[in-house]
Amino acid sequence: MVVSRFTNRFFITLIVVTNTIGNILLGEGMQRMPDFQRTSALAYVAQLITNWYVVGGTALLIIWMIAQLSMFTWADLSYVLPVTASAYILTALLSKYFLGERISIARWIGIVIISFGVVLVAETPEDTKHRKAGAQ
Amino acid sequence: MRWLWLAISVTAGTFGDLFTAKGMSEHGIEDFGLRGVRLVLRHIGTHPLVLLGIAFDAISFFSLLALLSVSEISFAVPASASSYIVKTALAGSYLGERVTARRWLGAVCVTAGVVLLSF
Repeated sequence: MVVSRFTNRFFITLIVVTNTIGNILLGEGMQRMPDFQRTSALAYVAQLITNWYVVGGTALLIIWMIAQLSMFTWADLSYVLPVTASAYILTALLSKYFLGERISIARWIGIVIISFGVVLVAETPEDTKHRKAGAQ
Repeated sequence: MRWLWLAISVTAGTFGDLFTAKGMSEHGIEDFGLRGVRLVLRHIGTHPLVLLGIAFDAISFFSLLALLSVSEISFAVPASASSYIVKTALAGSYLGERVTARRWLGAVCVTAGVVLLSF
């Protein structure tokens, strides 16, 4: 299976964005939930499914899961994992600009090193198992 | 206790990724229209290895939640990043991918970067 460069990039972006925003929404939503031990199970579930942060976050994470599984049909695991790790960078930047968190020097260095790793792997061919030996 | 949850989360997550990647690679996408999406969803819902992988992913997710309840994020996130190394090694031996030096370096950079992000 060979997909276009555009399709490949599109799926990487989709995976990174849905994963990052899904996790942030889910985290925000869980913070707004009552203490688990202090509520009845039924009331807790009722609150959970009417909490739009939780519902929205879960929907995005379902899209993330399907997008990542789809990408496995043409791309290597050892390609998809490092490349979609750019989600860590997006999370750090979003927490800086929207939640006002400070980014320390160590975290900036981490962001630079992850970016370097992402670019390194993004430059390798995404599929090494379906192509015949010597076809490269 | 945190090391136990960490071990369960990393091990289950590794099986999850390996099985879903293996199961999905047997599907050939023909198009990205509605029909293509339907075929992918059907493959996901009916392929035994993919379903097994998703079950392992779920175990990994809930043991990560358990880990977060007994430890700080600054321990859980960098420690879980060690899974990149394990998964990359097994992608070569179990999935038969060509894990070149470039890919290894990428995986190591990501792991090191995630550890730094927790400071």
